[in-house]
Amino acid sequence: MTTDVRSNAPGDHDAIDLEAFYPHPVELVWRALTEPAALATWLMTNDFQAKVGHRFTFRTDPAPGFDGIVRCRVLDCEPPRRLAYTWRGMPELPETIVSWSLEPVPGGTRLRLVHSGFATDPALAPLRDLLGGGWRSKLLAITLPDLLGRLAAGSRSQGAP
Amino acid sequence: MKTVQRATEDVFTAIAHPLRRELLNLLAGGEHTAGQLAAPFAVTRPAVSQHLRVLLDAGLVRERRDGRERRYRLDPDRLTVVRDWLASHERLWRLRLHALGDYLDGQEQP
Repeated sequence: MTTDVRSNAPGDHDAIDLEAFYPHPVELVWRALTEPAALATWLMTNDFQAKVGHRFTFRTDPAPGFDGIVRCRVLDCEPPRRLAYTWRGMPELPETIVSWSLEPVPGGTRLRLVHSGFATDPALAPLRDLLGGGWRSKLLAITLPDLLGRLAAGSRSQGAP
Repeated sequence: MKTVQRATEDVFTAIAHPLRRELLNLLAGGEHTAGQLAAPFAVTRPAVSQHLRVLLDAGLVRERRDGRERRYRLDPDRLTVVRDWLASHERLWRLRLHALGDYLDGQEQP
């Protein structure tokens, strides 16, 4: 069945906030988020462990300018409700944070994903304020080949049975 | 030719340094000469020039000659890489959340 994915914060420039409902028990969803073999089938190969402080990586095919490694560290782990880890694509890129929360609801699980820290640096605030609405809409968009599109494509091919 | 990913990293490297962020914030107020930009900082002018060079290379700042002076202005277009970077992650996560749904559906089939 096709999953309905909703955004709680469209247009936010600091965070992605997505929510999805799965007609499955919260324990099963938790296992899919925390068992390395399961994670590998829908996200990327990894050496994840559900232990706060554990450093791990997600790995996919390298691409020009990207070594194919996402560097992570577990920040929060509260089975089967909350999980958070850092997420850094390349050492030069800022460290962002991926947070999962799972809520049992009638008929299944509501899963919320917040990926934050894209522009949190307070030192950039005056500049952002000055750019104002232009930050989101007015400025000419630069067409960037999509690093994470490649990342997704890589994990899709790895995820095939 | 620089890869676009490389260029994105350049922007983040450029804005990672506090003095360069201060320069950007100054330039957000309008065009400045090199001397005006160096004045507020307790570092040597060559050091400021070096930071300006990083910003120029990242495409965040433009330079023009005005007589004997060089003038600098902000080019905010490049800052959209932050927004684009976020958008590409959002696309990734939407795909992955669908893949998670498929995975879960497969787990509970008899």
